[in-house]
Amino acid sequence: MADALAEFLKSVAPDSADIAILQPANPFLETAGEDLRRRIFMTQTADGDDKCLRPEFTIPLCLHHIQSGSTNRYAYGGVVFRQARDGVDEFQQAGLEDLGHTDTTDADARCIADMFSALKIAGAGNVNVVLGDQDLFKAVVGNLELPDAITERLIRSFGSLDKLHSIIDGLETGEGSRSGDATALKLAKSGDLAALEAHVSGLMDEAGISPKSGRAPRDVAKRMMDSTRLNDFQLSPERADILRGFLAIEAPTLDAVARLKEFSVRSGVDFGETLTVFARRLAQAHGLGVELERVVYRASFGRKLEYYSGLLFEALDMRTGISIAGGGRYDRLCSLLGSETPVPAVGFSISLDRLDVVEKSAGETLAKGGVTV
Amino acid sequence: MTLTIAIPSKGRLKEACIEVFTKAGLNILPPADLRSYQTTIAGRDDVEILFLSASEIARELASGSVHLGVTGEDLVRETVAHVDQTVDFLTPLGFGHADVVVAVPQAWVDVETMADLDDVAAEYRARYGRRLRVATKYWQLTQNWFGHHGIGVYRIVESLGATEGAPAAGSADAIVDITSTGSTIRANRLKVLEDGVVLKSQANLISSTRANWSDETRIASAEISALIKGARA
Repeated sequence: MADALAEFLKSVAPDSADIAILQPANPFLETAGEDLRRRIFMTQTADGDDKCLRPEFTIPLCLHHIQSGSTNRYAYGGVVFRQARDGVDEFQQAGLEDLGHTDTTDADARCIADMFSALKIAGAGNVNVVLGDQDLFKAVVGNLELPDAITERLIRSFGSLDKLHSIIDGLETGEGSRSGDATALKLAKSGDLAALEAHVSGLMDEAGISPKSGRAPRDVAKRMMDSTRLNDFQLSPERADILRGFLAIEAPTLDAVARLKEFSVRSGVDFGETLTVFARRLAQAHGLGVELERVVYRASFGRKLEYYSGLLFEALDMRTGISIAGGGRYDRLCSLLGSETPVPAVGFSISLDRLDVVEKSAGETLAKGGVTV
Repeated sequence: MTLTIAIPSKGRLKEACIEVFTKAGLNILPPADLRSYQTTIAGRDDVEILFLSASEIARELASGSVHLGVTGEDLVRETVAHVDQTVDFLTPLGFGHADVVVAVPQAWVDVETMADLDDVAAEYRARYGRRLRVATKYWQLTQNWFGHHGIGVYRIVESLGATEGAPAAGSADAIVDITSTGSTIRANRLKVLEDGVVLKSQANLISSTRANWSDETRIASAEISALIKGARA
């Protein structure tokens, strides 16, 4: 099975790169954040460089790609290492990354289609797929004309439904940040940016903090002015309900576009180009043979990682509900890794160990005399 | 079989610990030999007292080479893996109070809460070309606390001493450190975030589940912890 899968991936993604098992840790920590440190295996060289066992293939492939620069479809497969609660730390992963392809809807559609084919070849074709699109959420938030700081906070929290709901609830009741520094508060309220900046600058000076080492006095002063303004900001119940209403949308993809249009009419939210792109991507995926009836659109589906953008999807085994593959678009990753030009990027990965689990439990069920539905 | 109890070997912690034990009717005898780090309790031949440093005590509890120990909750929570399965916090002892806190420069007049820090951390990379840096010796506590507040995009800078000086030294933007009165933090022109108290720590009587327990040591441990709890009540 693994051979046939590798062969298939190679046929649709002919490029490859040697990804060493021992990787510099920094690119992973810089992009995914300190949170990742607990989940990877780190070590230090005698020179003091941080290294880690590769926790995934995407970041090393992007780093490789930044050097080569052309449009590539990379296939990969091998062991990855992550700390897991149940004690298993090695996982077999296979997948592909499509980097530099500027027709992004075409690349998205092919990526979904290839994942379906790959799963079928791996003997795990019985899947339900959940799909989300961060750009649609961005469009909704953009339509509400919220203060920038709030817009950013909402978009950053996409993928964590609990956090989004608590932000929306908080905005509706009118919570805002304040300052324990009475002088700063007075200056911010009077709208005197220059004086506030001078005040912050003075505080940094007293503390011996270089204004060049991190946050500049001007940035602090500006954010203070913004958050003072936010104090008076209250999200109207109507707008809060628009956000909640959007996040609650879940529909078979075949109906998703209609549902979104309906939502648009009801709420007055103009999706603009994003809905056209969304519809075109689905149509193209359908054209490539993707069984859209197996795909559910869930408006709140996303991942709280800053390099994800747009499309995200996950394949769940139909019988056990175990997640066996997933992927999406991450156009910001290469820039975060130091690419001077933005690189459109989309890909998916399959957890081969989970395929085994799914297969085994299917075998057990059969041995027990079949599935009772 | 004797019950081994590790207690702090020096300073204020040692004195306060001996005081609590004495109040509980447990007189820790001076070691027979001044250079010795081993002694016992008057009238309790079944107990062995070891004087160790506070961080050694956390380590010995983790490995199970002592049955009981007196040390700070912060040290144990930071250094012991699977802490809740490895040790039991039997009773707080009312001394060695210290809070592990998140502090930022007072000059950050716009930052009062973890949510503010989340906002600020999110824009760091784009604005200053690097992540927000947090100096601490409390890796575990910091990662748990920041993770709990949904902050992932930051970097920990290990600091082994004078953490509160890191922002002025330019090696970090914020700190997670221990403070008892807050005076060092204020002296360094830093402030504790409103919801930035990671842990309110104090010295605890702690037992190790990994130690070699027998019926005798179990009974002795129960007696001693009851006496200490009684004296504290």
